[in-house]
Amino acid sequence: MSSLAKTRLQTERKGWRKDHPHGFVAKPRTARDGSVDLLNWDCKIPGKAGTLWEKGLYPIRLEFTEDYPSKPPKVSFPAGFFHPNVYPSGKVCLSILNEDKGWKPSITVKQILVGVQELLDNPNNADAAQEAAYKLFKKSGAEYAKRVRIEAAKYTEAPAGFVAGGGATGAEDDVIVL
Amino acid sequence: MAPEMSDVELAKSSKVLMVGAGGIGCELLKTLVLSGFEDIEMIDLDTIDVSNLNRQFLFRKRHVGMSKAKVARETVLKFRPDARIVAHHGNVKDSSFDVDFVRTFDVVLNGLDNLEARKHVNRLCLAAEVPLIESGTTGYLGQVTAHVRGRTACFECNPKPVPKSHPICTLRDTPDKPIHCVVYAADLLFPRLFSADPNAKSDLDEEDAVELSAFTRSPGESPESFAVRVYDYVFRTKIERLLAKEEMWADEKRKKPTPLPAFTELVPEGPTAAAHGTDGLNGDGNNSNNTMTSTACKALGLRDAHAAWTDADAARVFVSSFARIVARDESDGNHGTDKFDKDDALAVEFVAATAALRSANYGIERKSLFDAKGMAGNIVHAVATTNAIVGGLIVIEALKVLRQRKAGGDAGGVATPVPCAPCPYRYTFVKQHKSNSRLLEPMEPDPPNKSCVVCGAARVELVCDVESMTLGRLIDEVLKKKLGMNAPEVNAPETILYEQDDGLDDDEIEQYAKNCKSTLANLPAGGVRHNTALRVSDFTQKFEFDLIVTHRPGDEWDDEEDPDGYVLRGDSVSAESNENNAANGENNEENGAVAEDVDDCLIVDDEDEIKAATATAGTKRKRDDDDDDNDGGGRGDAKEIRIE
Repeated sequence: MSSLAKTRLQTERKGWRKDHPHGFVAKPRTARDGSVDLLNWDCKIPGKAGTLWEKGLYPIRLEFTEDYPSKPPKVSFPAGFFHPNVYPSGKVCLSILNEDKGWKPSITVKQILVGVQELLDNPNNADAAQEAAYKLFKKSGAEYAKRVRIEAAKYTEAPAGFVAGGGATGAEDDVIVL
Repeated sequence: MAPEMSDVELAKSSKVLMVGAGGIGCELLKTLVLSGFEDIEMIDLDTIDVSNLNRQFLFRKRHVGMSKAKVARETVLKFRPDARIVAHHGNVKDSSFDVDFVRTFDVVLNGLDNLEARKHVNRLCLAAEVPLIESGTTGYLGQVTAHVRGRTACFECNPKPVPKSHPICTLRDTPDKPIHCVVYAADLLFPRLFSADPNAKSDLDEEDAVELSAFTRSPGESPESFAVRVYDYVFRTKIERLLAKEEMWADEKRKKPTPLPAFTELVPEGPTAAAHGTDGLNGDGNNSNNTMTSTACKALGLRDAHAAWTDADAARVFVSSFARIVARDESDGNHGTDKFDKDDALAVEFVAATAALRSANYGIERKSLFDAKGMAGNIVHAVATTNAIVGGLIVIEALKVLRQRKAGGDAGGVATPVPCAPCPYRYTFVKQHKSNSRLLEPMEPDPPNKSCVVCGAARVELVCDVESMTLGRLIDEVLKKKLGMNAPEVNAPETILYEQDDGLDDDEIEQYAKNCKSTLANLPAGGVRHNTALRVSDFTQKFEFDLIVTHRPGDEWDDEEDPDGYVLRGDSVSAESNENNAANGENNEENGAVAEDVDDCLIVDDEDEIKAATATAGTKRKRDDDDDDNDGGGRGDAKEIRIE
């Protein structure tokens, strides 16, 4: 007796497998017992070429509830992600994910991920979600760009043979000091 | 046709299942037994609470803490000792209340209070082909609806409104309704201040808040000073900082908030006096126990729970309830209160005060303590009369359903080919204000929604031994060979069991290979067992149906009769042949025409196997509509299912 939410997510999964944008990853988690956790998806969004975010591959998590698709999923980057529209907890503030604004039950996982990719380079300071990025974005384009590049570098795979594993974590530590 | 039975005879000869013995349940049980019903089973997992006694009249004060179902039974037996009533104190979702259990009843009557259980019972009834009468009340409003498979919409044919959640941005920065202020207080500020978990993440922890340690009590700080500091941050400093973000307020439609005066300005007697009010406590150790037993409102002499407070009173309640919660948590030794609880008087005061002050910030209508409590706790105020009316309407619909069933119209749940006209069933709405001088509004029931994910799909029953049948055999022998599927994929209710294509990751391929070797019972997420409904689909054939598994242990099989070791029965389903599929690819836009072509369908009717109870075999349902207008679908193209 599958729930409406899970039935829909199984359909979403099928739709994604059939067709999805290049460079994106989206898949439900696998639980320890080998079952598929349809309500929790791990995804990756590539930064758009030609933007400050390019080359990075950003992990985001989609958390659905049994009320999906009446309600949108919760979408989050890792906590502390630097972006004017990302809350300190990592949650993304985006109109299509807002039940009162743009959310419609027909919005697909693909549209959500493309929407978040779009948001990366088009921050909306009218709905700022964190102080740090908001202030920097307002203060100086150059400084903001510099900080974004540091953020992007955290999520850029090191070139082959450069640093195995741990490289990304090291970079992250440096950034926190900033 | 036999002479028509009277309503009483009909009632006497029927066996009914009641789910829920609460507000509606008490009224319903009483009306049932007084209408002649005498074979009743009921399920309720709840125990009796003091707050039930004003309307759940089968219960008395001495019953508090006892099973609702059992006490309801005992009370009713006092005035109908001849009735046969079985009370189950348990959850309707327990596996003991399975499809076979439901099948032993003539009708199921719901008096439930939550969507999840309603959906569950709906599915049980669909699978067991037993009609369902569904009901609900909120205050003066109520409704009763009849759900008969194949004749009327099932409970889930139409999407149900779900309670609204509120986006963090609105709650935190730009509230414009009273509910936003209440939810901010209960779901954001309350856990941030009082949670026992020091590492809990909160969206209130913006940089400035962290910088100022706005939400953290300093060592040695008194509860009152901490409360005042939070007041000044939340209702002043934070608002000033928000105002400084001009972009946020560039839109004329967004109303700018106003910072409140500093606490000491607003409340001249100061925080300590405000926190303790008139109950004469001065914060010394001797009296601190008293502080905790009392509430802020009592201490401050704010007796009217329906009155909206002034800013100063709200600020007093804020500091007073805040300090009392901190003091209580300290002395309890549990270091915190993680979640807002509507039965915690101090928490309610804190939330009401916070919401009132925030309403003042944003120029939003101010709610009373009573209203704020109802909003924060999602409290639905119940009206006994509505429950009584609804209980009566349920019995009326039940009698209609039973009459149809006895007359053979819906016997065994066989779907009538055309949704009936004239249909005897009604959806009845109980209204608060009369229209056309009526308080009850009966309506024609909705027809079944063909693209309903719950009742719209074809169902096939697979009888097998789940301890020996493997997923691999199910796929190869049953789905591919017997049903002619090309690339079947199998989903269990909670998980995906098998997929196939080039795009899968290695770990997924490995897991699915492992699943194929597993017996059905040992599959992940609890395994596939008796009564599990699998969803089987085939991308390449655009074909999908429900496969309901019935377990029959190995030693009950006769090798001669069923050499395969499994039996398929139920609705006819067909996978498209490959040629047909190609044609379909071209004709995608006009699949109505394609759906006419049914000649080479594989019909899975095994005449010998069809028992009276599952006599839906051969029922032909056709669907030529896409589900574009159905919100649940999303990807109409992936769900183009054709079943014959």
